[in-house]
Amino acid sequence: MKEKKKNNTMAKIYKYRGFYLMFLPVFVFAIIFFYAPMLGIRYAFTDYNGIKEPTFTGIQNFLRMFSMHNFWSAFWNTIQISIIKLLLTTAFAVIVSILLNEIANLLFKKVVQTIIYLPHFMSWVVTASIFSLILSPSSSGLVNTFLVNIGVLDANSTIYFLGTSKWWRPAYYIINIWKETGWQTVIFMATLAGINTDLYEAAAIDGAGRWAKMRYITFPQLRNTILTVIILNLAKVMNLFESAFVLQNNAVLDVANVLETYIYYQSFNSGSIPNYGYTTAVGLFKSLVGCVLVLVCNHWSKKVREGRGIV
Amino acid sequence: MKRKKKISAFQIINGLIFIILAFIILIPMWKVIVDSFDLHTAYGMKLWPESFGLDGYANVFSNPTLLRPLIISFITTIAGTLIALTLSTLGAYVLIQWDMPGRNFFANMLLFTMIFNGGMIPTYLVLRGLHLTNTLWVVILFPALNVYNLVLMRNFFEGIPQSLFESATLDGCSPMQTFIRIVLPMSKAALASIGLMFAVTYWNDYTHYKLYITDSKWYNFQMKLRGMVMGSDLPPTSGSNATENTVKNAAIIIVIIPFMILYPFLQKYFVKGVNIGAVKE
Repeated sequence: MKEKKKNNTMAKIYKYRGFYLMFLPVFVFAIIFFYAPMLGIRYAFTDYNGIKEPTFTGIQNFLRMFSMHNFWSAFWNTIQISIIKLLLTTAFAVIVSILLNEIANLLFKKVVQTIIYLPHFMSWVVTASIFSLILSPSSSGLVNTFLVNIGVLDANSTIYFLGTSKWWRPAYYIINIWKETGWQTVIFMATLAGINTDLYEAAAIDGAGRWAKMRYITFPQLRNTILTVIILNLAKVMNLFESAFVLQNNAVLDVANVLETYIYYQSFNSGSIPNYGYTTAVGLFKSLVGCVLVLVCNHWSKKVREGRGIV
Repeated sequence: MKRKKKISAFQIINGLIFIILAFIILIPMWKVIVDSFDLHTAYGMKLWPESFGLDGYANVFSNPTLLRPLIISFITTIAGTLIALTLSTLGAYVLIQWDMPGRNFFANMLLFTMIFNGGMIPTYLVLRGLHLTNTLWVVILFPALNVYNLVLMRNFFEGIPQSLFESATLDGCSPMQTFIRIVLPMSKAALASIGLMFAVTYWNDYTHYKLYITDSKWYNFQMKLRGMVMGSDLPPTSGSNATENTVKNAAIIIVIIPFMILYPFLQKYFVKGVNIGAVKE
């Protein structure tokens, strides 16, 4: 009996031999680029500079990490920046979607959509380039010139928005809202397009006005999508890197440094011999927090989305 | 009658809101376009260049250290997108073989990488150990396996009627033949959507270059642009009428222009791509 079952499996494997061959490239890529690096996690427990053999130091790196002011600052910056950014862009995207849905002229709607999606496709380098020119404290900076012209600022006291701790985060959030709000509406617009128009007609018969319809029909229908978007993105909050990296500079690291950029500077820009062991430890801590977040969000997602997880 | 009037007032205000929004999106871009043609450094917002000239663009194109990164951007985008699409379609096709022994193992092996990874430094050390750093291979191959896009592709493949696979097998098609003759021709929309997502990712790539490439010989245009705007890598403007500011703005326009031209025609594919993921997951 057991023998027969084994033969069956062998026969099946033989039948699918072509598919195994087709999966081989994907398998090789996954091993080299995802699984081989996981073996490198062992460096987190060593002293390793990339040249000499690693020496085992136990949890020394973690103790050092937890005693570092810069580490904790990067950790809390990551969480705060990611979550505030997520909530702001989602809120704006929901409002824009609901209003966009009310536009009757299809051509106008299409043109608006084309324009507001556009910034999403520009790289962070391009975005940072554009905004560093626009927010520049020099006379070519659009925002400062505008503020001087309307008399809010004096020509000698222009603000270096991306180089001042007080202004960096508001500027960062505004740039993110500018870049991502439009594209985020795509998913909400899809939900809105799926709302049964009978609901609106029934409400109209009951005497509901425009605001009542938005408040009692449109918004509740969007609620699940909003939760889904927030959950899916919450799982990724620890990965923040490129957008912060290209907009930050040494003057604002206290408010702008996130864990990935902290790891980057410690490894490649520290000016001394890098301690890959220490930065691997920081990365491991980051991955574990991210992992817990994914699992919590997955659990939450299953509750909200009728059993569908995020992975 | 009264209500109708109220609605039209709302429509007007709503329309105005979106006109303002569209301007907020476009003003930063318009400022860059105007400045790229303006031979004087423009102060504030100009609707049109003060002294029009193409010298900024001429400077960028006559500069050999700028042309090379642009070519590298094109090569890596095309090669990377093709390899990435090959991996996504092959992987997705295998993942819809529900009866295949080991199918769940393969699926879980891929999904696990979305939850946990080795991190920046171990990945860097592996790539360095394989002598991939400071080559174009790393920026072409490393981003090519994207599990999220592979899952999107699988969702799309699941919509292909099972009976088509069965009749192909009865006609004596091998899995590879079925894949090429049935699956790929039926998935043009998904190939376009996901292929475009990859193309944009490759064209816009900065992080992988920053992490794995230190030799400026292999920089793409994003890296080059970054160097220029940060002021550390500006081409000489002597002998040209263009100011530094003009050249910077011209470089920004050059890197976004290929996409800007294609974008209105491609927009529907991008939107479709998001919706493949949204409908099922």
